[in-house]
Amino acid sequence: LLHDILKKKPKPSDSVDSVIIVDCIPKVGKDRLEKLKNVIKKLFSKFGTVVNTFYPVDEEGTTKGYMFLEFSSPQNAHEAVKMTHGYKLDKTHVFKVNHFSDFEKYVNIPEDWTPPEPKDYEDMGNLRNWLMNKECYDQFSVIYGEGEKTAIFLNTPEPTKVEERARWTETYVRWSPQGTYLATFHQKGIALWGGPDFTRIMKFGHQGVQLIDFSPCERYLVTFSPLQDSHDDPQAIIIWDILSGVKKRGFHCGSRSTWPIFKWNHNGDYFARIGEDAISIFETPSFGLKDKKSLKIPAVRDFSWSPTDNILAYWVPEQSNTPARVTLVEIPSRKELCVRNLFNVADCRMHWQKSGDHLCVKVDRYKAKKVENKDQVKYSGIYYNFELFRIREKQIPVDKVEEKEQVLAFAWEPVGNKFAYIHGEAPRISVTFYKIHPNGGKVELFKTLEKKAANHLFWSPNGQFIVLAGLRSMNGVLEFVDTQDMTIMNQTEHFMATDVEWDPTGRYVVSAVSWWGHKVDNGYWLWNFQGVSQHRQPLEKFCQLQWRPRPPSLLDESKVKEIRKNFKTWAQRFEMEDSTRKQTASKDLMDKRRVLMEAFREYRNRKERDFAEQKKIRLDLRLGVDTDELQNQEDNFTEETIEFLVKVEEKIVEE
Amino acid sequence: MKPIMLHGHERSITQIKYNREGDLIFSAAKDPQPNVWYSLNGERLGTFVGHNGAVWCIDSNWDSTKVLTGAADNTCKLWDCETGAQISSLKTNTAVRTNGFSYSGNLIMFSTDKTMGFPCEIYIFDIRDGSQLQTGNPMSKVPIEAPMSKITSAVWGPNEEFILTGHDGGDLNQFDLKGNWIKGCRDHNGQINDIQVYKDYSMFITASADHTARLFDMETFEPLKMYKTERPVNSASISPLHEHVVLGGGQEASMVTTTSTRIGKFDARFYHLVFEEEFGRVKGHFGPINSIAFHPDGLSYSSGGEDGYVRVHYFDQNYLDFNFEY
Repeated sequence: LLHDILKKKPKPSDSVDSVIIVDCIPKVGKDRLEKLKNVIKKLFSKFGTVVNTFYPVDEEGTTKGYMFLEFSSPQNAHEAVKMTHGYKLDKTHVFKVNHFSDFEKYVNIPEDWTPPEPKDYEDMGNLRNWLMNKECYDQFSVIYGEGEKTAIFLNTPEPTKVEERARWTETYVRWSPQGTYLATFHQKGIALWGGPDFTRIMKFGHQGVQLIDFSPCERYLVTFSPLQDSHDDPQAIIIWDILSGVKKRGFHCGSRSTWPIFKWNHNGDYFARIGEDAISIFETPSFGLKDKKSLKIPAVRDFSWSPTDNILAYWVPEQSNTPARVTLVEIPSRKELCVRNLFNVADCRMHWQKSGDHLCVKVDRYKAKKVENKDQVKYSGIYYNFELFRIREKQIPVDKVEEKEQVLAFAWEPVGNKFAYIHGEAPRISVTFYKIHPNGGKVELFKTLEKKAANHLFWSPNGQFIVLAGLRSMNGVLEFVDTQDMTIMNQTEHFMATDVEWDPTGRYVVSAVSWWGHKVDNGYWLWNFQGVSQHRQPLEKFCQLQWRPRPPSLLDESKVKEIRKNFKTWAQRFEMEDSTRKQTASKDLMDKRRVLMEAFREYRNRKERDFAEQKKIRLDLRLGVDTDELQNQEDNFTEETIEFLVKVEEKIVEE
Repeated sequence: MKPIMLHGHERSITQIKYNREGDLIFSAAKDPQPNVWYSLNGERLGTFVGHNGAVWCIDSNWDSTKVLTGAADNTCKLWDCETGAQISSLKTNTAVRTNGFSYSGNLIMFSTDKTMGFPCEIYIFDIRDGSQLQTGNPMSKVPIEAPMSKITSAVWGPNEEFILTGHDGGDLNQFDLKGNWIKGCRDHNGQINDIQVYKDYSMFITASADHTARLFDMETFEPLKMYKTERPVNSASISPLHEHVVLGGGQEASMVTTTSTRIGKFDARFYHLVFEEEFGRVKGHFGPINSIAFHPDGLSYSSGGEDGYVRVHYFDQNYLDFNFEY
């Protein structure tokens, strides 16, 4: 109680902080003063108890046009300033409301301006250090121990641990798109780690953060927390500048709930989000709305950026008499490059090819539509189309591929010109491959693999090789296919696998059983791209493995061609390196074994001497019978002859 | 190698043991009928009839004249090996979990479970003394009190000087014939499921629920080697012929249906004794392996599983010639 009373004790500074100055109020004479006071009091009482008011008047008794108002607490004053500054009393009087303490602050600005102290440059080390590995081993992060332990491994023939920290993250980790940073999640916000020793590069305070997204250029970080979000200060989504750690802009969450809410264009110049009947496009580094207005598209459902150009694709579902349509629009000009009307559409999904040459829109089409109560539409007789937009050609022509069975998954070959999709219903599931001929050639069915147990497709990041995986409910069946000639390189399984991840170079594949999905047999298995098992690593309560991404190669086309030409000489050199490494490994192993064996022999010799010394005790215990060797009692054997039938043969000797 | 399947039990196998010379295999299971078989061809010699509950442990003396069994019917019975007749039945308060003949065969020991308010106890009887067997008063009775956890596996030490016990909490202890505690150690993190001694009693191997089997020195408890797996190890045995050990185990019974039998979690795994490296596996059991043992001549081994089968495997020449390089 005493504590509460003491809290209420007036403090000297308090009253000043609770005072506001309201300027541009009407200048009225004594007769209308009472009315003015009431109006103002009524307005400001909304923000708290008005303790005191003072209306300065001139010699004639007319108010000077401003007044002082004191609240009972500084919070009320703060609220009042925020809400009433700019309040329109009438056409000629717009309130200007300020804190009393602000006046003092601005009056007392020192004459001499001292420039702020520049912060010392903190050298974070070479953030691209991991790419300098001579043998080009990739790194991957592993979370295990139910999330308690996070470790970074190097993909050497036996994975070597580079770094391990307990409780490095509270939930999971994320690599930045070019592999420079490792982001860890904490109750207070996000931390970014990097450099040769994984030092902490930056931290971002966002209480209760749950999801993050990086811009493709790694300049910006978007964080989302469902906790804090007040009306005036949007805090649900915050965009940060990574290098300086400064908060650039905050956004509300809105009703759409698929992450990422903001989609970045290919180079980080723009980011956009979908809203009610509009797409809002923002530009960096100003973080303002591009052209100060959003793209108004009534009933727009979804959009996506081209991965290589500033082109936005969006689709609008069908309404009463208008068909659905997919539109490609160029940013920032907002010129419509292509509009495609689609009839009888139930749903659309956009898939861009990584090279940006093609956009595939998977369209679910219906044969019949029924509108039930409350605008709930039911579709029947669904069949599927793939609309393939040829972005590089004039007018963007569109090809169509039809598919009757239900499509379960779709994936473009990341480098190359094929795409694959899984269709059908268990047990008759097939995987179909299409090839698009270059230079405006046609779209052609390449091959259909039938009766596959697969629910996911994983292309190698360099194309050509693909893993058909039947994860989780399909018990972890894995099939490695070379799509050059559709040979099945290996058919194998990782029982109950929950995830498959290619390394960034397309050499290795990891299949994993995560503790988050399945509680037994957790761990990861390493395969090469042909499906040959390299290493099996069981880990107690293993949760997640993520390869560290690589930034795009610095080599240009001509250099790549040159390397391919001289492939044989490179291969020879690498083979030599591999065999010397194997030899040293086996030599190390042999040395280790020799040491162990010598120590053990010495131990056994001692024990055998002790054994010999105790022979008499043993003989006494067994009444003089020597049982030290099994063969000692020849007389204890009985011989038994057993006859059994081997064969009956009938042979005619003479006719 | 094609194994000989011994099918004589209706429930899962709890323990199998060879006699000293190796021509007989004794098998105990969760049904009340322990069996004895010829290890050469798998022909059953006979069954010991008399128990009323799951038989947890079985042992034979050095000249294969007597057999000792302990069961969940709160008795430990002594039998004549040749005729199968019951010689004596010793009553206890709770189930008998482990038992064994001493080196000379004159002393027997067994341990009881800690349930229903009764403590875990070690009983030592001298079977030459008829009065002990008749009255049921043992030569020694050793209660195992808190904080020591209950005994889950036990064997006689060399020259019957002490009893080596393995406990629920992973600790190992030695008790002398009077019941005095000699020494102990705790290297394992999980229950000790099995202890088997090397042919000269100088070392022993422990199989534990903490997914490892370990080799210890008998006298000092010095930990010598560790063999790692990803599953609880139910039983382990040291080859008397080569520097090999064999481990048998499986996952916890509650998780049986969630793993694939094809993955081979029910195999016997062979490790090099000194290098601790796994070099071979033998598949075949349809459930976890509960007990495994090398033949005293090292040319074959047997395993008993949760599936109720005992499989006898004779090694082919490949195994016998196999040598680790070093």
